[in-house]
Amino acid sequence: MKVSVIGAGNVGAKAVYYIAEKNIADIVMVDVVDGLAGSKALDFLHAAPLRGYEVRIRGTTDFGEIEGSDVVVMTAGIARKPGMDRMDLLKTNAGIAASAAREIAARAPNAVVIVVTNPLDVIAMVMLRETGFALRKVVGMAGVLDSTRLRWFIAEKLGVWPGDVQAMVLGGHGDEMVPLTRYTSVGGIPLDQLLDAADIEALVKRTRTGGAEIVSLLKTGSAFYAPGASVAKMVEAVIKDERRLFPASAYLRGEYGYRDIYLGVPVIMGRNGVERIVELPLAEEERKALDSSAEEVKKGLQELSTAMGVPA
Amino acid sequence: MAQVSIIGGGNVGANAGFFIAEKGVTDVLLVDIKPGLSRGKMLDIMEAAPIRRYRNFLGGSDSLSDIKGSEFVVVAAGAIRSPGMRREELFAVNAGLIRGLAPEIARLAPDAVVAMATEPVDGLTALFARESGFPRSRVMGVGGILDSTRLRALIARELAVSMEIVSAMVIGRHSDDMVCLPRYCSVAGVPLPLLLPPDRVNALIEETRTAGDLVVELAKRSSAYYAPSAAIAELADSVHMNLNRVFCVSVLLEGEYGIRDAALSLPALIGSRGAQRVLTPELTPQEVAVLQESARKISAAIKGMVKA
Repeated sequence: MKVSVIGAGNVGAKAVYYIAEKNIADIVMVDVVDGLAGSKALDFLHAAPLRGYEVRIRGTTDFGEIEGSDVVVMTAGIARKPGMDRMDLLKTNAGIAASAAREIAARAPNAVVIVVTNPLDVIAMVMLRETGFALRKVVGMAGVLDSTRLRWFIAEKLGVWPGDVQAMVLGGHGDEMVPLTRYTSVGGIPLDQLLDAADIEALVKRTRTGGAEIVSLLKTGSAFYAPGASVAKMVEAVIKDERRLFPASAYLRGEYGYRDIYLGVPVIMGRNGVERIVELPLAEEERKALDSSAEEVKKGLQELSTAMGVPA
Repeated sequence: MAQVSIIGGGNVGANAGFFIAEKGVTDVLLVDIKPGLSRGKMLDIMEAAPIRRYRNFLGGSDSLSDIKGSEFVVVAAGAIRSPGMRREELFAVNAGLIRGLAPEIARLAPDAVVAMATEPVDGLTALFARESGFPRSRVMGVGGILDSTRLRALIARELAVSMEIVSAMVIGRHSDDMVCLPRYCSVAGVPLPLLLPPDRVNALIEETRTAGDLVVELAKRSSAYYAPSAAIAELADSVHMNLNRVFCVSVLLEGEYGIRDAALSLPALIGSRGAQRVLTPELTPQEVAVLQESARKISAAIKGMVKA
């Protein structure tokens, strides 16, 4: 098995680390910056005798090396800096994604593509269009990260092992997240039997701003451990055909009442990417929140068509 | 290194030793009164260490006194079921053994957390708690955790999803009257009733109820031991690392759901002090009635033995 990670920044490199430690696939890191991916790959390999991973890790500037990948993770792109115009970010990252997509389509035509580059739901659409891949083969990572943050905050609050906390979220990333607290449980016991509504709301709020909390502490840069781990979990589900249920950004064809957009929904991930989209009944409030999340995505797609001069 | 001692070198005991060894964080001592048996089995496990990479001390002994100072003690001694036999029938056979062991274990390992794996677990958990004088938090029966694990496996098979994301809750007596709670079962947080129609849920519950019987029937000369041993290893790990993982274990009830003087499985936070917090999920009156009836049977069995 072979996994390629496009973009050797913090998120890409940390994803490579978590994937390497799973010992499930050879890994290629690609970055246009000369020496960046190569140096990080070498550093990883130097740790192999201690950490015991047996997989091959390569770092390169050459897209040719992604040949035959089973999974491609797209993390390349610029981060939004203070004062940067939203359209500039969109335009730059859509351009980067489009050229990566053409390389992926030519060299790894059977790959499942996991998109991490922001704005996620829009970049996933660019990737889908430019690769021409089957809908289920292109998926975005955001919900796994939001839900793992929520799970951790709940575990910390209750003093329980985080692995026993389950949480489901829908919609966009961060602020746009739609938490389904009814479907959040600890050892199977619904959260509302263990915490009161105010406590739950506080944890949800902290999750919404979880990324910003890290940014404000780091001063320069944003989170990469939890995002990297989230990517690795999705990669593993594909490589091992685990059929895990994840919240992820998937192309919708009428599910949840939306059409032709990418939006965070529960999906079952396996060897073919999105094996199935799971439709859950929503309460009125959840429906409204998801609608507003979908509106944001549509707005982004509109901006994309303006920026790229193509029809939405 | 902290020591886990396992009393009873049969299939459950030896495999629990094996799974705990693979965790690699505690020493493991297997004790059996039959000379050589436990030493032979642990030597076999030890000799796989270069390949499997554990480096903790693993040993066997025929003397109970070697459990001295253990952090975690597994009781896996006694008679097992033969095909067609109900777990409760073993109470008369195994109760005497547990009554004898409890004060000895309490004397040798006064701070230990004890996991009862001898059947019937609920009756013997209650008996051990009483005879050892241990607080209830430090005596847990390997009941609901095993039934929950089996139901998890069946739900994952039915839905063709990864077992790891399935959570299941089975409480009550580790017997035909176990209480499966499908509304507290979920797949990555999504409640089971949203994913599976009631008739299929009921079929899985029925299969869980008889899962142990099926293994006895097929194996003929043994009862289940891989899944029980795996469950024991998770408990040992959660205690040693003070993880506060949520597992359904049999604990002596102190008024939960109106029940006293019997042990039944309920979800609990398992950490260094044992079942540190027992959780009481909301139940229907019917479910509570089943628990109370199970408890009545367990209390009666204990009372009967004390008289005899």
